[in-house]
Amino acid sequence: MIFEQLSGNLLQGVILGGVYGMATMGLSLIFGVLKVVNVGHGAFIMVGAYVALILFQTLGIAPPLAVPVALILGMALGMLFYYTAIKKLLKGPELASLLATFSIGVILEEVCKQLFTSEARGYHWGLDKLDLGFTVLPYSKLIAFGGSILVGLLLYLWFHKTRAGMAMRSVVEDDEGAGVCGINVDWEYALSFSIGIGLTVVSGVLLTMFIPVGINPYMGGSYTLKAFVIAVLGGLASPYGAFFGGLVFGLIENGSYTLFAQIPGLEPFAMTRFFSFVMLLVILLIRPTGLLRTK
Amino acid sequence: MMRHLQKYSPILPVLLAYGVLLGIGLAYPGKWQLIAQLAFYCALGQAFNLFMGMTGYVDFGYVAFLGVGTYGMAVSIYFLYDKGLGIGLIFIGLALAAVFSTGLSLAVGAVALRLRGAYFAIATIGVNEGFRYFVEGARIWNGADGMIFSRHLRKAVGRETAMTLSTQWADILVFGVAVLAAILTLVYMRNKVGYALTALREDEDAAKVMGINVTKFKIIAFITSAVLAGLLGASAWALKLTYVYPEDVFEIHYTVEAIIIVLLGGAGTLLGPIVGALIYGASKYFLAIVLPGFQLLIFAPIIIVIIVLFPEGTVGILKKKIRGTALEKFII
Amino acid sequence: MPLLKVRNVTKRFGGLVAVDDISFEIRHGETMAIVGPNGAGKTTMFNLINGVFLADEGQMIFEDVDVTHFPSYRRAHLGIGRTFQIPRPFASATVRENIAIGGMFGAAGSEVNVDEALEMADHYIELIGLTPHRDKPAGGLTPIEKKMVEIARALAMKPRLLLMDEAMAGMNPTDIDKMVEFLKDIRDKEGIAIVAMVEHIMRAVAGLAERVLVMHQGAKLVDEPTQEALSDPKVIEVYLGKPAEEFHA
Ligand SMILES: Nc1ncnc2c1ncn2[C@@H]1O[C@H](COP(=O)(O)OP(=O)(O)O)[C@@H](O)[C@H]1O
Ligand SMILES: [Mg+2]
Repeated sequence: MIFEQLSGNLLQGVILGGVYGMATMGLSLIFGVLKVVNVGHGAFIMVGAYVALILFQTLGIAPPLAVPVALILGMALGMLFYYTAIKKLLKGPELASLLATFSIGVILEEVCKQLFTSEARGYHWGLDKLDLGFTVLPYSKLIAFGGSILVGLLLYLWFHKTRAGMAMRSVVEDDEGAGVCGINVDWEYALSFSIGIGLTVVSGVLLTMFIPVGINPYMGGSYTLKAFVIAVLGGLASPYGAFFGGLVFGLIENGSYTLFAQIPGLEPFAMTRFFSFVMLLVILLIRPTGLLRTK
Repeated sequence: MMRHLQKYSPILPVLLAYGVLLGIGLAYPGKWQLIAQLAFYCALGQAFNLFMGMTGYVDFGYVAFLGVGTYGMAVSIYFLYDKGLGIGLIFIGLALAAVFSTGLSLAVGAVALRLRGAYFAIATIGVNEGFRYFVEGARIWNGADGMIFSRHLRKAVGRETAMTLSTQWADILVFGVAVLAAILTLVYMRNKVGYALTALREDEDAAKVMGINVTKFKIIAFITSAVLAGLLGASAWALKLTYVYPEDVFEIHYTVEAIIIVLLGGAGTLLGPIVGALIYGASKYFLAIVLPGFQLLIFAPIIIVIIVLFPEGTVGILKKKIRGTALEKFII
Repeated sequence: MPLLKVRNVTKRFGGLVAVDDISFEIRHGETMAIVGPNGAGKTTMFNLINGVFLADEGQMIFEDVDVTHFPSYRRAHLGIGRTFQIPRPFASATVRENIAIGGMFGAAGSEVNVDEALEMADHYIELIGLTPHRDKPAGGLTPIEKKMVEIARALAMKPRLLLMDEAMAGMNPTDIDKMVEFLKDIRDKEGIAIVAMVEHIMRAVAGLAERVLVMHQGAKLVDEPTQEALSDPKVIEVYLGKPAEEFHA
């Protein structure tokens, strides 16, 4: 009985963690290439959630089909913000790009508030559930998980098998050297920022499978926090590290919720959110460069 | 002696500005709320600037210090109202606000201030939410239900005094915090702390090589800024409203406002936060009439415009203009 | 007793050994040059001496104190001053403030208050001839002026050991000669040991240093009196068989 509950929780944790991991890859990609910390990260997840919600509610489009829309919208937003703000701040003090990405997050939140009000919303895809005996998994969550793995794989293939991807990797390694080798570093920056944002908006679509009624303009804040925990777990500059960081975080989050629920007098939901903040501080204290990095 | 005092002449325009504001408020009671709001923004800006402006580090969880300060005052009034302390409750509340914000800043600073730039920002990003969910999750001080203590305050000091405390003294205290923050900023600027902070803001490694214990000076600025925020929360929120809800006092948009104010006015300048607060406060006041609900949507892009085009802010630009003139002694 | 003892110090960056098991000593008040081709590990050696990096292996004794694990600000308090290869003055601070910062936090820092440090700064500004720029932000100066600000800032720290990384790079021969005289003067007046890191400017080495340590690929090649080092075949070879005249120029 206890074993069943535990393995059920573990599985749920892995499923959610995979999506968390995907939701952090964009953050790590942008940091890896541009050395910019996207403090407005969660707001882009929120945008993705609205893409899924609106497409489903107004046009009846199923969430997987919202993914390409989200990717294109995200990449367009990425280009827009790169050329209007980020590009001009890369050479300046770190404070400048931090404040800029923070403000971009606020802009997105306020635009969405004007468009959709601040009321919390959700949608019901209505897929069946898979009963494994020890736990029940909605197919929608499985699809989100599968989608995350797929996106991770595609990113990997793109990085390692295409010229464009390899060019971008060389910028991560050494941007001056890459520039000397004839790579247009500015364009690589723009592209990475845009892909990073695109991935993040897509992850917002996938995350809606886990939040039945929680879509609102200010939902991003807690995802920003989680993404930082995950990114720091996996080594801030590594998209794959982020993916595994996500798995670990999903497990810990699920486990700590179960634990907090056992302790009388605690609100498990709030305590779990508090816990992710504590985790961030602890990880930064013991290993700011990332727990999962070997070097 | 004269020369010693002259170093502090830039405090004059600050005091003048606050004096004029207070004067307008007293002369036109109908405008008191607006003036109180502007004073709040001035104090917020000055307190925030003391850390962000002087060190170049940004604390995205800054509002948490206002939040715990609010709780400091709330706890004092809520739990001690029947101990016959009278007006002493307020002083205990302010002391608790200072203690709470110092405690939180030590806890956060111990981790975050050992980290550089981006990592520091990352470490602070969840402080306000983290603390809010801690209060709610562990059901501390009534958890999410908050604390309402108007009744307690009335019992402790009487109806009349309670009324004056919330409607007048709370705002006067906000002025006090603003003046205190300005004085501390100037004192720091004129002493080793200020030189150390300038150095580490420009180049942390070089500062260390010059013999500056950067962590020590960052902590000094961080705690000072946090305590000022705590006192501000205790006066502008707890004492004025006589209730506190975790979801209100840990709300990130106050951090956004602090950033806007400091950038508008000029980060790291003495007069900047006041200029920024007046510009921001006044425009927000009019926007609330013309375009209610659009304030942040309008100001967030302005932050980006400032960062890209005018990183020195209003007073920073002004300082350049007046270099070599007599005004140079007063406007910094 | 030597001023600084460096014992078997090694520093690695990943697989690269930037400083490889180096030992040497610096005596009070002497001038020494560390030379070597680009990438030899000179700047890294400086960073190790003044604590910007901590050594992976080895030991460093300054006067009687084991400073191996000291952060750079504590080494500054003991009397290690430094200028950077690419000047790093505090851009928004004025020339005067920059130099005063050295005075108020350096080796004499605990006894110097802000006003005294500012007065000290005026003295050094005159010494380096930047009086017209006294109240300008250092960020707006020319590279050479920035370098001078850095030197003054380091001197204001009242160091007993002054490390100068490529202090004369980019200067013309007349300026180099002036600089050499200036540094010798400082050394004699204030009793500071000076270690200058020079890349190819043998003119400066010959004029200034009593002793030369040649580094090559992280390791110590020779450590001997200047004249011997300059004619040492091993040293000449490191400079890719350059004709001796060019080498001495
Ligand atoms: N911070 C660093 N990280 C990685 N490698 C470094 C770092 N600093 C220096 N190096 C490497 O160490 C070697 C020695 O560099 P450096 O000390 O700057 O040489 P020099 O000053 O003699 O030109 C070079 O190969 C350089 O690339
Ligand atoms: Mg070098």
